[in-house]
Amino acid sequence: MWPRSGRNSLARHINGRFMNSIRFAVLLLATLSVSPTLADELTPEQLSFFETKIRPVLIRECYGCHSNKSGNVRGGLRLDSKELMLIGGATGPAIVPGNLEDSWLYNAITHQDYVMPPKRKLPQSVIDDFRTWIEMGAPDPRVNTITKINSKITKEDIQRAKDNFWAYQKPLKNTPPVVKDANWPRSEVDRFVLAKLEQSELKPAADAEPWKVLRRLTFDLVGLPPTPDEVSSFASAWKRSPERAIASVVDRLLESDQYGERWGRHWLDVARYGESTGREVNMTYPQAWRYRDYVVDSFNDDKPFDRFIQEQIAGDLLPVKTDEQWTENLIATTFLAIGSKNLNEQNRVQFAANVVDEQIDATTRVFLGMSVACARCHDHKFDAIPQADYYAMAGIFQSMQTYFGNPQSTEYGSYSGAQEKQTSTLLILPTDDPNSFDARYSPTELQEIKDEMVSKRREMAESRRSGGNSGANAQRQRIVFQNTMAKLSAKLASVNENGRPLTFSMGVQERDKPSNAKILVRGEIDQPAQTVARGFPQVITDGPTGIRSKSSGRLELARWIGSDDNPLTARVMVNRIWLHMIGNGIVTSTENFGTTGQTPSHPELLDHLAVRFMESGWSVKSVVREIATSRVYRMASTFNEQHHEHDPDNALVWRANPRRLDAEAIRDAMLSISGEIDLDRPRASVVAQAGFTRVQNGQLESPMPGMGGARPEAGQQGRPQQGRLQPAGQRRPGGRPRGPTGRPGGPMGGPRGPGGRVQNPLDMENAKFRSVYLPIVRDEEPRSLDVFDLADSSTITGQRELSNTANQSLYMMNNPLVQQQSEAFARRLASSSSRVSEQIEQAFLLTYGRPPTTGERAATSAFIRQFSPSTAYRDREAATMTALCQSLFASAEFRYID
Amino acid sequence: MFSRRQILQSASAGFGYLAFAGISSAQAAEEASRDPLAAKDPHFEPRAKRVIFLCMGGGPSHVDTFDYKPELNRDHGKPGRYGGSLLKSPWDFRQRGESGLWISDLFPEVAGMADDLTLVRSMQCDQPVHAGAMTQIHTGTAQFIRPSLGAWTLYGLGTENDSLPGFVSLSPPSGSSRNYGSAFLPSIFGGTKIGRASRGGQQRSRGGASESVPDIRNRSLTADQQRTQLNLIQALNREKVRRDQYQPGVEGIIESYELAFRMQDAMPALMDTSEETEATLDMYGVDGGPTDGFGKQCLLARRFAEAGVRFIEVTHQGWDQHSNLSVDHKARAEACDRPIAGLLKDLKQRDMLKDTLVIWGGEFGRTPAAQGGDGRNHNNKGYTTWMAGGGVKGGFSYGATDEHGYEAVENKCHIHDWHATILHLLGLDHEQLTYRYAGRDFRLTDVHGNVAKDILA
Repeated sequence: MWPRSGRNSLARHINGRFMNSIRFAVLLLATLSVSPTLADELTPEQLSFFETKIRPVLIRECYGCHSNKSGNVRGGLRLDSKELMLIGGATGPAIVPGNLEDSWLYNAITHQDYVMPPKRKLPQSVIDDFRTWIEMGAPDPRVNTITKINSKITKEDIQRAKDNFWAYQKPLKNTPPVVKDANWPRSEVDRFVLAKLEQSELKPAADAEPWKVLRRLTFDLVGLPPTPDEVSSFASAWKRSPERAIASVVDRLLESDQYGERWGRHWLDVARYGESTGREVNMTYPQAWRYRDYVVDSFNDDKPFDRFIQEQIAGDLLPVKTDEQWTENLIATTFLAIGSKNLNEQNRVQFAANVVDEQIDATTRVFLGMSVACARCHDHKFDAIPQADYYAMAGIFQSMQTYFGNPQSTEYGSYSGAQEKQTSTLLILPTDDPNSFDARYSPTELQEIKDEMVSKRREMAESRRSGGNSGANAQRQRIVFQNTMAKLSAKLASVNENGRPLTFSMGVQERDKPSNAKILVRGEIDQPAQTVARGFPQVITDGPTGIRSKSSGRLELARWIGSDDNPLTARVMVNRIWLHMIGNGIVTSTENFGTTGQTPSHPELLDHLAVRFMESGWSVKSVVREIATSRVYRMASTFNEQHHEHDPDNALVWRANPRRLDAEAIRDAMLSISGEIDLDRPRASVVAQAGFTRVQNGQLESPMPGMGGARPEAGQQGRPQQGRLQPAGQRRPGGRPRGPTGRPGGPMGGPRGPGGRVQNPLDMENAKFRSVYLPIVRDEEPRSLDVFDLADSSTITGQRELSNTANQSLYMMNNPLVQQQSEAFARRLASSSSRVSEQIEQAFLLTYGRPPTTGERAATSAFIRQFSPSTAYRDREAATMTALCQSLFASAEFRYID
Repeated sequence: MFSRRQILQSASAGFGYLAFAGISSAQAAEEASRDPLAAKDPHFEPRAKRVIFLCMGGGPSHVDTFDYKPELNRDHGKPGRYGGSLLKSPWDFRQRGESGLWISDLFPEVAGMADDLTLVRSMQCDQPVHAGAMTQIHTGTAQFIRPSLGAWTLYGLGTENDSLPGFVSLSPPSGSSRNYGSAFLPSIFGGTKIGRASRGGQQRSRGGASESVPDIRNRSLTADQQRTQLNLIQALNREKVRRDQYQPGVEGIIESYELAFRMQDAMPALMDTSEETEATLDMYGVDGGPTDGFGKQCLLARRFAEAGVRFIEVTHQGWDQHSNLSVDHKARAEACDRPIAGLLKDLKQRDMLKDTLVIWGGEFGRTPAAQGGDGRNHNNKGYTTWMAGGGVKGGFSYGATDEHGYEAVENKCHIHDWHATILHLLGLDHEQLTYRYAGRDFRLTDVHGNVAKDILA
């Protein structure tokens, strides 16, 4: 891609007083913003110029290989219509009206990077004609005949779906049903569940033992095990009143900072959180962690969920009073920017269409449980979503620009590395919150960078002017130039004029002018049909959307999704909460509330929770509390053969589902039980420290020599140093500071672990902070999480898989993290008591939340008798206890909540 | 076959579980001898003993590889049946081998093995999108979570090497575990993931010992110590199963520990390819070039097959060319053509091809009409897979699509038929291979499936 300059200071009107602090970068979608009037109304002179000087040349010289009729289109490029020319081929648009530098056709006929026609150069007069034509805006009468797509889904079909399909009706407040066993229910939730059980002549399981209930509560609400002290005080409180015991624990847990780390991670699963692009060229997202922290804080603050939605979809458009609030809102829009991306996509228009598609998919499935993206190529096959509804939303999203890459625009233009075919810059945040490892430059250094950029540009210009240097050599030279400039540009763009690091975020911004999208026949970018007005899916909207012509409609969309009138939003979220606490969704297809999804097992209960959710002011904590304090929640998981025959999936909730802990809880519980856990939030992420770079084979590395500079000088090139991440010393934008700074910690260990084993730096086996803060690089997730079914970070994951595999067994038996934690656990036990029997007692209390049974005591004694003689006398006790502690971590009960 | 209860009981039999379960001693002795992974007799004489499934993710284009369509050349540029204009293949087709099968220049090396292939040119599935179609090719349905083909095979036949998983999936893409899972079958029948897609190419030297099985060795305990430790773990686990009565997850954990313990010795030896000759490595294209990654996977597949593993899946991703077909399809094919041909030759020279069924195929094919000039869209109504060895005819073509390759029209082979045929080659009757779950007998082919008898050698 040729560096594009001169577009880096587009004035914006979001919020005038912050304007000076923001530098805006090139339009990613230069080709889409071309004003149609340029070509729509041709003057007779323009027409004649095209017909006499341009069209004949195109036909004679180009159509042979580059037209619809020519068969296999070379480089995917077709030149036989205006639209196709603007779309271009593998390299980029053939023509960018008014812009010679970006017009690949001009590049090729002047024999710069490409040489066209292949065998000879066109006469200079013809080249001059093309130059004139492009500069006058490339007026082109060859307009495609616009196909009109007629939807097979009629207004009546949509109305019928609205009238009849359960999910499109607003949730109603239902009176809880009367139940026969009136003594059992403690809450309305209980009555809904019990009524269904009674209909099927099933009985709810008895209450679980108190220690089990507490273990369940603590893992479900904060993702950690209860301490033995908590277990015993809960047990005595339970004797007085189970209800009060539970209520007070729930209050305590909801108030703790660990709650947001647990529930924020659930949200990160559906938000497809990842710290890199994934796909073919896996480039890091060094600023993604800001969104992670934002999500954790939002759950801790119990931010009203409707507000949370609005911030993520349209945070950049919400009115704000302070810079801090504005910062928070901008970070929230990372939701739209963080999807996985194929940076290798050659065609910019295609890339942009794919980004929009991903945004539509995420927005509709995550918030609405609706897959509108199914209608990209044709009407939805099963739901009443015509293709036009998709493009109504595409108009909204194409009217914004997505920022996910690296700072790259400076007064010298915008540069990106030759390998990144599709790039973007980042948002600069209005508050000052850089990382301590971010680069800073002295005035001299700044001047050196600038001088070098100027001299490189001059060199390049001279080399171009001198000509004669074409073909492969010139191309190589240009790549070197581009990479050098990208490196320098990234340095310069990442600091302010005094060399102090700026603070960046991913996110979105509105374009100057909103535009409507055209329906694309079969979703193909070169097959546009009629234009559709920006709007929302009709089947869940009543009346007009209220989108004004000057507004993209994104803010309206965000407000409509997060509104009490939306039939889906509240239901979708309470269903997620129910899933995380009960183990099954009321609707088991958590992202699909459409006709191909599953119908709710308890429709009235779903509505009840949804209405309560909205009435509480969209408080997630209040729904969690309502479920946690129900009797349903404290049922035992006791098996019942007849009930199982009747309802093998436990859809009616006749018992508690035995659930395997998720990946984060397993790791965090080991750290917690060993006493080694560091509950302070680490600053940023190891990915932020590595900067903008390519990830391959588990290594954060530079895509090629000379490209490392995309990362500000962090002290070393190549691999990131695995030091402890910096503690958050500074004001955290958008919320109260979270905890004191960390204890002084040693380095986390180099890339080589015990026994010379090559470690993957992204596994971070020596880190002690909570799992939610481990780096989540797409396709390179840490082993400790990956092995226990971490959500695939490239896809929206409402419900994780819960497997039991030999790989997990190997991990538990042999992984250094497990071994280290077992050692620490044994040390902790040794310091608590010198008697082995007491140590064992304590070990079971810590891992299982209960003392050992007689059988377990016998098994551990037998183990000690057999194992201990095999160890060296010197550290016999420690070695034996370590092996015993590891056995407890490895055992099934540790990883199950029953 | 076995009842759920029998399987569960036998699954945990090794360490005195039955004593806990309170089963009579005679019965216990009989049950204890039955390892769930022990080799079992098929329903009838099998043609193949094991399967290597070369799974092509993304949907390779049949009309550019194995489904020769002269009419597509002839009608190039004309409107396609569902819009777009027909696009002739950028690659020439030629007749290959004695049999004269038409195969394109995308697969010159595989084409050299034409006389060992049965092309199934009339494939169909119900799903037009990747995830759904991929799940259907593996489990028969995209709608429900069901056991995968490999899990059914292992359930039906057991395995011949109890120190290795009976079903392995080499470097599967992330998020695809449903495609090699056991669903309601006991989890020991599920596929074990070996290596990660993203880290597949990290083996450093040619044919050297690989590190792609993490945590395969314990560095602080001796084998005896670890066995002692494992006995404690299993004692705790069995206590739990006993208390819980019915707990398939925990039963799965018990089985997985025993397998993992044995794998510690067997896996490193299996993954160590340093003893392979230069000639063998060359045959697979393990030479540091574009074929290196997939070549290693295919070589490992052969080693797993040799070691007695029942079902081996190898994935080759990236066939989804909506655009840039002419360049990217070629690159994809180049990366796997030589390794696949190498695998077939190697199996043949070791006399293993006769009882190893090699399957090649993607989740669907691609449209004869162009998408954006140099691309093709998904096509699930007609596409090609092929089989080799394991009792199928060589140099044979089964079924056909219409003149342009849109839809199967002759001897249609739906995924259910394909599954039925594969099971048949393994000596399993797809209607008899059932598993009772929640009061109902389930099978891989649900209520469908016809064996494509014509392809049997």
